[in-house]
Amino acid sequence: MQGPLTQFLMKNPSVLIFLGLLSAFTIFAAIGSEAFGIGFISTSMIKTLGKTLCFCLIAIAMDLVWGYCGILSLGHFAFFGLGGYMIGMWLMYERTRLIVESSMANAALPPTPQEIQEAIGTQIFGVVGGAEIPAIWAFAHSLPIQLALVVLVPGLLALVFGWLAFRSRVTGVYLSILTQAMTLALALYLFQNDSGLRGNNGLSGLQNIPGLDHVPQSHISLYFLLASAFALGLGFVIAKLIVENKMGNVIKGIRDNEARVRFLGYHVETYKLFIFVLTAIMAAIAGAIYYPQAGIINPAEIAPIASIYLAVWVAIGGRGRIYGAVIGAALVSMLSSLFTGGQIPNIEVGPVNVVWVDWWLVLLGVSFVAVTLYAPKGIGGLIDMIKMERTK
Amino acid sequence: MISRFLLLLACFLIVLPTQAQEGTAPSLKSIVSQNAPDIIKGSVRTAPPIIDALVALDDPSSLRFLSLWQEKDLWYRKSDEEIFVAEKREDRTYELFDIATLELVETLPKKQIKQIKPNSGLRALIDEALVISRLKSADMSVRQEAISSLSRLANKQHLLPLRGAISAEPNQALKAEMERLERFLTIQFGASSEERVSAIHRASDDLSVETRANLNRVTSSTMALKDMLDDDANIARHVIPGEADFSVEDAYQLLIDNDLAEAIPTASERTQFLIENIGEGKVGRFTLHNLDTQKNRDAAYLSLVAEGKAPFWSPGLSADILVEQFEFVEVYDERDAQVTQAAEVALEKIETSVALSEFVDVLLDAISLASIYFLAAIGLAITFGVMRVINMAHGEFIMMGAYTGFAVQQFVTNYTLSIIIAIPLAFAVTFFAGVALERLVIRHLYHRPLETLLATFGISIALQQLAKNIFGTQARPLTAPEWLDGALVINDVISISLIRIAIFGLGVLFFVVLLFVLNKTRFGLETRAVTQNRQMAASMGINPNFINMLTFGLGSGIAGIAGVAIGLYAKVTSEMGGDYIVQSFMTVVVGGVGNIWGTLAGAVMIGFLQKGIEWFNPANTLAAQTYMIIFIIIFIQFRPRGIIALKGRAAGD
Repeated sequence: MQGPLTQFLMKNPSVLIFLGLLSAFTIFAAIGSEAFGIGFISTSMIKTLGKTLCFCLIAIAMDLVWGYCGILSLGHFAFFGLGGYMIGMWLMYERTRLIVESSMANAALPPTPQEIQEAIGTQIFGVVGGAEIPAIWAFAHSLPIQLALVVLVPGLLALVFGWLAFRSRVTGVYLSILTQAMTLALALYLFQNDSGLRGNNGLSGLQNIPGLDHVPQSHISLYFLLASAFALGLGFVIAKLIVENKMGNVIKGIRDNEARVRFLGYHVETYKLFIFVLTAIMAAIAGAIYYPQAGIINPAEIAPIASIYLAVWVAIGGRGRIYGAVIGAALVSMLSSLFTGGQIPNIEVGPVNVVWVDWWLVLLGVSFVAVTLYAPKGIGGLIDMIKMERTK
Repeated sequence: MISRFLLLLACFLIVLPTQAQEGTAPSLKSIVSQNAPDIIKGSVRTAPPIIDALVALDDPSSLRFLSLWQEKDLWYRKSDEEIFVAEKREDRTYELFDIATLELVETLPKKQIKQIKPNSGLRALIDEALVISRLKSADMSVRQEAISSLSRLANKQHLLPLRGAISAEPNQALKAEMERLERFLTIQFGASSEERVSAIHRASDDLSVETRANLNRVTSSTMALKDMLDDDANIARHVIPGEADFSVEDAYQLLIDNDLAEAIPTASERTQFLIENIGEGKVGRFTLHNLDTQKNRDAAYLSLVAEGKAPFWSPGLSADILVEQFEFVEVYDERDAQVTQAAEVALEKIETSVALSEFVDVLLDAISLASIYFLAAIGLAITFGVMRVINMAHGEFIMMGAYTGFAVQQFVTNYTLSIIIAIPLAFAVTFFAGVALERLVIRHLYHRPLETLLATFGISIALQQLAKNIFGTQARPLTAPEWLDGALVINDVISISLIRIAIFGLGVLFFVVLLFVLNKTRFGLETRAVTQNRQMAASMGINPNFINMLTFGLGSGIAGIAGVAIGLYAKVTSEMGGDYIVQSFMTVVVGGVGNIWGTLAGAVMIGFLQKGIEWFNPANTLAAQTYMIIFIIIFIQFRPRGIIALKGRAAGD
């Protein structure tokens, strides 16, 4: 009795291994957390771990679109940020509404709906000199709609942008530059005070979940860690399902020789568009889980450089392997916070005192060049080599 | 003739407050003796006519009297309140001098005299009046200062003395300035309509902000009710509330001010009345918890109105209907219709020329922005455009060039010399950095363009951080030599800084030189051969490795020179490369990859586009950039190969 799922799992033991490791990691984090366990992992560490899992999820998306489909998108952090903004709108609006309502409860007259709206508007937009709630916040009161927008807005942007770009056969580095331009345009737009999303102040206080004031942050952080882990597991399985099927072969074919796949009768643009939109949505979901843990989102997070770092993670982890992306994102972002956090002791090299906070980026840049030159398959390539040795 | 009449008139005006007998010309002594009590008291209210009278005398002794007054050197004799200039002697007595002749009159002990101490307000008034006397000073800087203070605080009294000073002024520049000031004063305070109108005509060629401010002062207006006006009111136009900048609220406020309407209680005022009338959890017959909608609140308020506890209000009451029953006009504060008419015409003429000049200014701005983009992108046009190597570290080469300039200025303090040294040095530094990059990294990645992008990005972040570690995070200045410091001023609106002109010149120079090198030299021929077909070029005896290395070095070196130029115009920071990299790539892609003409076209298009969008929405440069990028994204949909697309074999792929 072998169902398609069992068949899939039999063919891809890495899925089971990954899910097993991920569950073990989450259980370990839960036991170590301050909320339920013995408390040797601090709440801020739990948040860092949860955020890293979100990075792993967007890295999977990047690996799908770049490693498998050959589209070096320098814009996936824009989708990540948009997802964050969409959920952030609900978090900020609802929390402000609750605060406003409780503060108005003591007024002489019970507040009218208009008065509440005005007070919320002043609270949220006073910082950019406004009091009106912009039209794009029309659904901010409703969690289901904003959750739908987390998927819809970045998805639509990716659909329109991808359709335009793939239709006119912009490929290779041109496409990369075009996606980078899109990201820059979005970031610049959000930087404006009248963008309706609070300009460069961004959205803040997102770590406070409306209506859950009585739940301590240590618990909330753990819930979000679980949510991140669940999303990552799901993303991994979906990615595997795509790449291990016929579709995976087609998109790999597009990566290796687009013209040939087209001559075989496949509609290349549709495949590319599907992957582009799907990965944009994955990135957006990652962002929507990430920002409530980070607590604040502002346009600087969307700047093109973030998306290039994403490519760096995937390249170091190894392209064309879903687990490689996860390893790369986890390793580089953890190392990055380790080095810039000052945990690594400084080294005296002759006259130069190597302060890692200052030299980490130099190290990262150089090691990145080295990886590109000497290990183009990244860490995943090393694992492959070890496997080959074993089977010999 | 007119001026003589004016003089008479002025004398008449002066005489009035001093109540001198008609027929005898006033003198310093007569004015002072008649106003002695007021001078001694020194009140800001009574002093101005005296000061004006003294200034109008326009003789050295009266001006000297004023400055003595201001400097607290005047004393008066307690017995008869006669005013003298006093000087303290060694034996604690004071010598009194006549105010007009400065002859010694007598010596008195301190007990019998008293110092006149004007307060600071009065001293300022006197100072203002003395400005006129300073206009006749032999010292030119004093005159200059007098003119600039006059242009701030001139009033009617200054017109005549100023006219007198103009003819005596030897310095031409100063004279022109005086004449301009005289024009402004005549526009404001001229005696006859004709005089003012002709001054307005003369001013209408002047685009300066001061001229416009002066004319605007003449045409300043207020809104008024037509029925409330005098017959001779100078009406500018009829206005309809709710149109242009006259809102219905403004119109209604005008009605209230004229007691033609009652103020309509606003929503928050009505709420306040409700709160004041809360009794036992109720307002009238409405329980409090029901008052959470505007509809119920209105009903509750109406019940209060019915009981007479609140001012009248009804849901249909709206300012619009009330306002409609009245006729509103805009009235000039200036009564003279001829003058306002002339001023409006002059303003319109000035506005037209200003708009034209602004347009020219925007064009110049666009050209200079285009040349900056061109400079930033031209190196990339070679490495990316000709060699198809994506060099994300291009921006960091620009930065390296700029920091080279900064470093040179640390050792060479002569700015002209330091720039002359910095340009070839920056070229050398970035040339060798480019060659090293090509040898060590890019050579291995020619068949993997996307990975070149990533590897050079690694170089980019490493270089950026290195620069931060070496030079620190704060912006470093790259000082331009003095002869590049000024601006080319064409008129009050159009001016362009010399640095921008120099950058434009440098851009043109680069363009011509590169065009020559790539199209007319052996090296250019070999470069094109290698990039078009490496194997074929190699079989023709060209060393492709060597040519690639040199070409990449050339592109990088040009980025270095661009860095020096950009550093002169903007600040040098470790992050400056990032500001230019995306724009540079877009310039090359939009223009068309593979030729220098394309880069020029791309830079011109992006520069003009950005400035054009900024022109429509000057307050928001971020929006301009956003729209520009969106435009470029759409543009590439229709011309994916850029403005100037190569055709045939040369197009590659």
